[in-house]
Amino acid sequence: MAQIASTEQRPRFRLRLTDLFWIGGILALLIGATGMLDRLRFGLAPAAIGSYVPWGLWVGFYDYLVWLEVGSLLLFSGLVYLADDHSLAKIKPLVLFTGFVVLLMALILVAMDLGHFERFWHVFVYADFGSMITWMVWLHTAYLILLTVELVLALRGKGKGLLKALGIVSLPLGLMLILVSGSIFGVVAARPLWNTSNLPLMFFISALAAGASLLLLLVCLFWADKQSDEFARLTRRLSRIAGWLTLGGAFIAGVIAFTILYQGGGNPQRAAALQLILSGPFWWSFWIVHILLGVIVPAVIYFLFYKNRLLLTLGAALSTITFVAVTLNIVIPVLATPELEGLAEAFQHQKLSLDYVPNLNEWLVVTFVFGFGALLYGLGLRFLPVLPKRTQE
Amino acid sequence: MTEQEKQTTQSPAASAVSRRDFLGALASAGGAALALAALEQFAADPQVALAACEEQIVQSTLQTGQSSADWKALDVLERMRLELLRALQKPQGERRWVMVIDLRKCVGCHACTIGCVAENKLPPGVVYRPVIEEEFGTYPNVARRFIPRPCMQCENPPCVPVCPVRATFTNAEGIVEMDYERCIGCRYCLTACPYSARVSDFGFTYTEELPVIQGLLGTQTADDYERVPNFEYGKQYAREGRASPVGNARKCHFCQHRILEGVLPACVTTCIGRATFFGDANDPESLVAELIASPNVLRLREELGTEPRVYYLK
Repeated sequence: MAQIASTEQRPRFRLRLTDLFWIGGILALLIGATGMLDRLRFGLAPAAIGSYVPWGLWVGFYDYLVWLEVGSLLLFSGLVYLADDHSLAKIKPLVLFTGFVVLLMALILVAMDLGHFERFWHVFVYADFGSMITWMVWLHTAYLILLTVELVLALRGKGKGLLKALGIVSLPLGLMLILVSGSIFGVVAARPLWNTSNLPLMFFISALAAGASLLLLLVCLFWADKQSDEFARLTRRLSRIAGWLTLGGAFIAGVIAFTILYQGGGNPQRAAALQLILSGPFWWSFWIVHILLGVIVPAVIYFLFYKNRLLLTLGAALSTITFVAVTLNIVIPVLATPELEGLAEAFQHQKLSLDYVPNLNEWLVVTFVFGFGALLYGLGLRFLPVLPKRTQE
Repeated sequence: MTEQEKQTTQSPAASAVSRRDFLGALASAGGAALALAALEQFAADPQVALAACEEQIVQSTLQTGQSSADWKALDVLERMRLELLRALQKPQGERRWVMVIDLRKCVGCHACTIGCVAENKLPPGVVYRPVIEEEFGTYPNVARRFIPRPCMQCENPPCVPVCPVRATFTNAEGIVEMDYERCIGCRYCLTACPYSARVSDFGFTYTEELPVIQGLLGTQTADDYERVPNFEYGKQYAREGRASPVGNARKCHFCQHRILEGVLPACVTTCIGRATFFGDANDPESLVAELIASPNVLRLREELGTEPRVYYLK
């Protein structure tokens, strides 16, 4: 009798595979805490960024997270609301929740990159809409509000009409957001490799490719019945979309690179920045991380081994993770290319150098933010009705 | 060398002033005393100060046997100071401050860099006017050139429109200013400047890791000195904690706080080779207006259409 009473009083707690998220999240928070404390205490001084390479790891990760968040939601809303993909609609709460967590991570990370993040409200009060960052902040805020409302409605299972309307509204909003995030770099005439009309479009294609891989990964990991025909159909469709977008993006980037480098390049500064990506000290991040692990391996899996669930999950995970190499390679090498030869040697200080390598502090802050995201995600998976339920076929 | 080439390779001031004239003027008027007196008077009444300054220079030139029209034949610093006082009599919007740097005269001593650091109490990692050293040619025909790089104060500054909070703007005199209290520290302007003329203040101090020793040369004294406020943009910015300008974008402002008090920018007055000139380009009589009309004038990265207000003489 006593034994029965004791089991009634103590709710049984069984660890699930999804609990790895919050457990890993707590670990990452603990590991990253020192870096975050240093950041809050000493500002940007402990980071490796300086005045000549003013944006680094955090901005690269920020753009990566924006690609994942907006790309996955754009593709999802497009497939569900415009192409009437009812299968994909079953993971709507999961996709919205994933996008919401990734969005929060992106915002925290970019706030950490501000010299005075306590003044973030200045962007609303003293806004200059001639600046792409103003548009970015306003659109991101609108997107956060929209996504939050969508998520609440989806979790409650109410307001299907409103949810659809919001989903359709999120399409142009997401499109603008991703184009603006590319334009932040694209409008900077001082940096020739950024300063092209191609860059916002490349951001759009890349975000869709990253988002497609993320959607595929979510389906592979969390679909309730992985033996069903519906799963097979959905993964086949998503892997084709992700594969073509990835290859298409790589092809366009290759054509652009060819025109920049042809005959030594018409613009030396632009060619130098591209050479730094292709053959600089971090050549491996482009050729091995991005091209091999992020494009070739996933594309082979997407087109040839899509029926193998384990390989497909691996391919989607590889593609999703390695997209960070793309954003880092967009942000850092361009800034590490001198605007005026000899300037970096004119006045010596660690913050007046073109040699940027992300340091421990920056990695710890990223670890902390990812820990926060993983903890939130893990708790959501456990306590919120976000996971798709098994349906009777 | 043709007569025209001779004229272009010598600045007007240099060609007009003989050593004898200069020494005579200096001895009769006393350059330093004249400057101090003019400044004191300028603070009290700018117009009276200007008249007094002009009169003193005219008298000094007369004593050396020159005509009154030759007052320009003084040291360029005296001339530029006079022109500065004259320009300050005009409405703000009618002035156009420009800087001219004669690359043939710059010896790469970095006195301007240090003068700027001292004037603006710049912390470690913040520099407004570095001097780029360039070696060019092929052995045995090799030469070195020194290129001071202040903010170009562009007429079309790429750093201004990218600021999301309007914390940077061009004032009526064409100087690109910073509003430290409004800046959020996003560093977008740093990426947009084609001259890398903007830097971020990461909050370093020279004394933070030194042992604390009382006394004249000890940390306490140095630390006290480091926390003396600067006077950028006519305000006082003491170095306290993480308050602005820590965390902000910073840049050269042509020592605007000095200009408005009738004093030339620190980099101009500390230049040992008289290689840096400053003044109002809207004044056709000014030295800088003469210099920028030279055929050997150039501006950095003109192809970007930024219209820099810093000119170089090559």
